[in-house]
Parts: sequence; structure tokens; C-alpha cells
Amino acid sequence: MNHRQTDWRATVRSRLLVCAALLAGWTAAIEARLVYLQVFQHAELTSRADRQQNRTVVPPAKRGEIFDRRGRLLAYSVDADTIAAIPTEIDDPADVAAQVCAALDGCNNERRQAIARNLSKKAPFAYVARQVSPEEAKRIKALALPGITLLKESRRYYPNSELAAHVVGYVGLDNVGLGGIESAYDSQIRGSAGKVLIQTDNKKRAVFSRVERAATAGAGIELTIDQYLQFVAERELRAGVEANHALGGTAIIMDPHSGEILALANWPTFNPNVFTRADDDARRNRAIQTLYEPGSTFKIVTASAALEQKVVTPSTMVDTNPGSITFPGRKPIFDTHHYGVIDFTDVIVKSSNVGAIKVGLKVGPERLTQYVTRFGFGQALAPDFKGETAGIVWSPDRLDDSALASVSMGYQVGVTPLQMITAVSSIANGGHLLQPRVVRAFIKDGRRIDVPHKEMRRTIEADTAAIVTTIMEQVVERGTARAAQMEGFTIAGKTGTAAKLINGHYQKSDYNASFVGFIPSRKPALSILVVIDSPHGNGYTGGAVSAPVFKRIAEASLMYLGVGPNLNPPPAVLVTRHDANAPTAQPARAASVLSATLEPARNGLMPDFRGLSAREALRMLSRIGMTARMSGSGFVVDQDPLPGSTLVRGDACRLTLARRAPVSATGGQP
Amino acid sequence: MNAMDFEYAIKKDIRNNPIVREVDEARQRQLWRSIGIGLFLVLVLLFSAWQHFELLRHGYQIERLQQERAAEEEINRHLRLEAETLRAPRRIEKIATEQLHLVAPARGQAIVIERVTPAAPPEKSIVAAR
Repeated sequence: MNHRQTDWRATVRSRLLVCAALLAGWTAAIEARLVYLQVFQHAELTSRADRQQNRTVVPPAKRGEIFDRRGRLLAYSVDADTIAAIPTEIDDPADVAAQVCAALDGCNNERRQAIARNLSKKAPFAYVARQVSPEEAKRIKALALPGITLLKESRRYYPNSELAAHVVGYVGLDNVGLGGIESAYDSQIRGSAGKVLIQTDNKKRAVFSRVERAATAGAGIELTIDQYLQFVAERELRAGVEANHALGGTAIIMDPHSGEILALANWPTFNPNVFTRADDDARRNRAIQTLYEPGSTFKIVTASAALEQKVVTPSTMVDTNPGSITFPGRKPIFDTHHYGVIDFTDVIVKSSNVGAIKVGLKVGPERLTQYVTRFGFGQALAPDFKGETAGIVWSPDRLDDSALASVSMGYQVGVTPLQMITAVSSIANGGHLLQPRVVRAFIKDGRRIDVPHKEMRRTIEADTAAIVTTIMEQVVERGTARAAQMEGFTIAGKTGTAAKLINGHYQKSDYNASFVGFIPSRKPALSILVVIDSPHGNGYTGGAVSAPVFKRIAEASLMYLGVGPNLNPPPAVLVTRHDANAPTAQPARAASVLSATLEPARNGLMPDFRGLSAREALRMLSRIGMTARMSGSGFVVDQDPLPGSTLVRGDACRLTLARRAPVSATGGQP
Repeated sequence: MNAMDFEYAIKKDIRNNPIVREVDEARQRQLWRSIGIGLFLVLVLLFSAWQHFELLRHGYQIERLQQERAAEEEINRHLRLEAETLRAPRRIEKIATEQLHLVAPARGQAIVIERVTPAAPPEKSIVAAR
């Protein structure tokens, strides 16, 4: 019995020992494995886990927006879908390519084959179609093809299509500015991409994300361009070019007191949303990249130099007989008519080549070249444009009499339309050459940084500018630019008709017809230049072709800006709000509006700022504890929040300003 | 006499009903302490697990909300772009002239009430609304 019991216990003990040994071995094996995995394989496994569980996403920076001077969008970025592929995961590239092609708009056989070739490369990544439309993306997503994925990319859109295309420019697929402001200020507009670490679960769903570096949006740019004036300039330029069967043209509107370019139109133009479809000629910014011989518009420079240097006075008689002038080794230069002996004013008014040459010869090469340079010719003027052409100007020691004669009447000098309007604007503002600008302000981190006006130099004295203005007024009144006349306005201008130089020969059928002027001439609001390239319609002269375009642009622009006639202005008009509760108009506008609006502010409601000046509106906003966000200039015409809505102190009120006269005000003709 | 008889012989009727077992307070305190520690550890474990799962749940929620916000912002951007496209002067003029048959006012039909001089650009300190 005892023996049996001992046997049993020995058996159990031995089995327990075996189990314990097995358990110990198993534990040791596990421990060994753990040590191997956690110590020896630590680095590799950690990195593999990181690859599986963590993703690094680089959120692209949104390009800064581009606005016109009244805050209207000209360029904007939104996300667009890009179709990408992981070719290693695609078994049948031809079939996948066929399905993708069927879902894309305008995908032809050639493109389908290109996609199939791309998918057959067995590369880790390949683009299939970049920045497709939302509809195309939806169709691709619905297919749920293996190895085909959708990515988000920022895409630039231009909501006004062709409007101001040459100024704003365009952006390539990789978000790099390729033209206009987009290119010139690419580093400021582009911003910097961010970095986000995302931890994912086994289903690749994001669990946590950590922003390592936030994407920084690029700076916004406010242009000096006015959307409506730009539209008017483009509309009228196109009409002028088409009516005259011309090759193209340029129209520029400038504020002569600040150098701000309000509109810059070129024809032909292009749509920056699909810039690849446009040819180089359409994409060329003629206003800054095309040199032309200005012809008679350049006589303004000759006249300014002659008057400033007291070589002539407006009444100095000039003998233009016999209607031509000859220089050794070249053909005679003719006037269009035989004018005989005329005063210097008439030399400019009738645009006598002979008279201008004779005066130019008296001025001499040094002094004429000095004034040519002073007016900004032969140098790039606008820092806001890339690729601006400096122009061609002769050095005085190379100006013999023949060359000086040519320069005096606007030949043998190469200028850009921008240089020409800048020069004429300096006469309009009394002799200050202002740097032409198209960027008005940068908007960075919610702060507006103004680009200051810059006066480059003085061109002529104010008195000389006034005399030249008087002569230019007569050009429109009784000279070559009568087609530019506008009832109620005095206009100072000058026509130019220059034969085009092609392959070293002046053409008899191709001309550059131009007109440049400012209006109202005694208190200029706008300088306008129109250049039409090779008109082949009813006329070819600046007076017949470009002056009417100038007139149409000026009419629409002055009406839009609220610039009243300066000749025989109509009597003052009193206007009041049509309101049954207000039987009489209040004579003191500001006082009445203030008293009416402060009361609702105390009731916790938004006051009515409409009709107030920007300064008044700002003062009131600060009193009720709000900040202002303003767009445009002039009086408040719209506000957000609307009057009567709940007032939220500390919030921002968006004010839209315009130069239109306030309807709630009493106003009169100044 | 065998062993049974002997036991029977010395057996006495001992009545120990009135005897109350003395509570071992030290052991009881130890017991409660153990139970308390155990409960505490369990609670800590549960709290930790709850925290972990809440963290996960909130992580998912935050990611979802962030994606929703990004999507809403993008929709907003698209709508703004669409609004600006609809506001293009060329489109408006086309509708005005071709559909509504409006004409531009002649110079005599438009009265300029006041010429407003351009206001100075806003100060740097004014936050630009964009």
C-alpha cells in the first residue's frame, strides 16, 4: 500500500517537473523572442510600425488671393481633385485605363493609350489626370478601381476669366506663378506648405493628428486695377480692334495723381484658367513688352523740352514750308497738309512733322535726350511687372540731324504704352513723374501693408505743364483728335500715327494708331492711352481709330466714377431718401445721420452706416466696440451685418465703400 | 479496551455555545485593506482603460470634425468662387443687354450729384477683410 502511494506521488512529481520544465522552456522561449523583437529588432520594427501607423501629410499652402482696388476677387484658390495611381497594384492597366478614360471628359484614344502606358510602368506612383473637375472626380470615385486614388491639390481659378489676364497672370499645375503678378510676386503669394503627422488604426483611419508645422497661406494682393474700369477698357478696346480690322491693341487707364493703373487691357487676350490653349501673342502683355514708335504722341516730349528750355513759346511762328524737309541720305519727310507759317501751338495741334523737326533741331540732341530720359523713356518703370521692356532711346552723341529729326516727331525711339501714359500723366499732374503701380497693398496675417506712391523725378515745371496742357486741349478742340470730344468736358490729348517698321522698312499699309490724353484736362481724374496695331478699316490715323475708343472709355469711366462735367455744369441737385417718416430733408447730413444711428446702437442693434464717409463710419464703429473691414473708397454703400441686426461687440463689420453719391444725403454740385 | 472506548471514556460534554470567537481586528483590517487595494487597482485599471478608449473615441471624433470643417471650408471657398464668377461684369452686361434688353444710360440721363474725392486707403492698423 505504502509503495503504491509512493509510486503515485513520484509519478505526479515527475510529471509536474516535466510540465514545469516545459512551462519554463516555453516562458524562456517567449522571453527570448521578446528580447529578440524588442532589443535586436527594435529599430526595424519601430520604423515599420511608424510606417504602418503614422502618415505624414503635407497640406499645401493656399496661394494668396488677388483683389481689385474694391476688394473684388480676381484670383482665388480652391481644392481640386487629382487622379493618381499606384501602378504596382494594378493587374490590367489597359482595362483600368479604358475605365478611367471613359470617366474623363474629352479623353480620346491617344490619351487612353498614354494612361495605359503610365499604368504599365510598375512605378510606386503615377499621375493619371491632374486637377480634374468635381464631376470627373465623382465618376472616378464611383468606379472604385484598385490602385486608383484621388488626391487633393490646390488649383487657381480666375472668376472673371479674361478680365485683367495680363496683369493678374496665371499659375502652372505645380502652383508656381508663370505670368503677371502671379509670377512677379510668386514668393509672397505662394506661402509655405505645412506638415501634419497622422496616427492611423488598422483600417487606415486617422486616430490622432499632430500639426508639426501649420501651412501658411500666401499674402493677398490688392491691385490698383478697378474691375469695372478694366472691363470697360477691354470691351471698348476689343470693339475698336474689331471695327478697324486691326491686329491688336492696348488701352491703359491711369490715375495721374498717384501713378496707379486703374485698367490695363490688351487685345488679343487669353483666359488664364486655360492659359495653355492661348498662343504666345495672346499671352504677351503688349502694354509693357511691345515696343512701338509712338509717332506724333511723342511730340508732347519735344514740345515740353522746347517750352521748358524757352526755345519757343506757344505763339512762336514756325515756317513749315514747303511742307517737307530733307536730310542727306534719306527720303524727304512730309506733312500731311501744307500748313505754311504757323505758330508753335498749331504745330502740335495740326501735328506738323516739319514744324516739330525744326523745333527739335533747335532744342538740340543733348537737351532733347535729357527730356526723353526725364519722361521715363529708355528705362523700365514698373517694378510690379516682370519682363518689362526698357525701350530704345538714342544717346545724344549718336543723334545727328536726321536722327534728331526722327526723334522729334516720335520715330527711331522705341517706347512701351506704359511709358507713354506715364509720361503724359506727369504733364497731367503738373510735372511729377510717378512710378506706375499695379500693386496697391499686401494683406498679410490680416494686416494691410500699403505700397506707397513713389515720385521718380520732376519732368517739367508746373507752368510748362500747364502750357502743354493748353496746347493739348486745342488738339482735341480743333486739331487731329476731334473724335475724342465729349460734351461738358475739356480734354487734353495728342494723336499719333506711326508707320510700322518691319524688316527695316516702314510699311505703307501698317500703322500704329494711338491717342493719349487726360480728362478733365484742368483737374484730371484719368489719363487714358489707346494704341491700335495695324488698323485696316475706315481709317488708320490715331484721330480716326484710337480717339473714338478713348472717348467711349472716358465716357463710361467718368460716369462710373461720378466725375461731373467741368464745362457748364448743371445746377446743384438736392437728393433725399424716399421715406414717408422723414417729411423734409435734413440740411446737416452728418449730424442727422449720426443722431439717427447712435440710438439703435444703444438698443443693441446695428446702426445704419450707409451714406457715411469711411472716417465717420470708423469713428462710430469704434464707439460701439466693433472693428471695421473695408473695401473700396468713398462713402459706405453697403454693410454687413445689416442695420437693425443684433450688435455683437468685438465683432467686425464689413463696409463696402463706393464713390457713388450717398442716396441718403443732400448733395450739390461742387 | 480499544481506542474508541478510550475516547468515549474521556469525552466530556463541553458546552461552548456561549463562547464567542474573538474578532481578529488586525486580520480584518488587513482583509479590508487588501479588498480596498484590489478595488482601487481594478478601478485604476478600469479608469485607465476607460480613459484610453475615450481618448480613442475623441481622437476619431476630432479627426472627423476636422475633416468636416475642412470640407465645409472648401465648400465655402467653392461657393465664394461661384458667387464671384456670377458677379463678373461681362456676364452681368450680357444678361442686362440680351435678356433684359437694358441699355446703358446716355450722358444726359445720368446726373452726377457729387464728385467724391477718393478716400485715403485704410490705416495699417485696420484689419483687412478678406
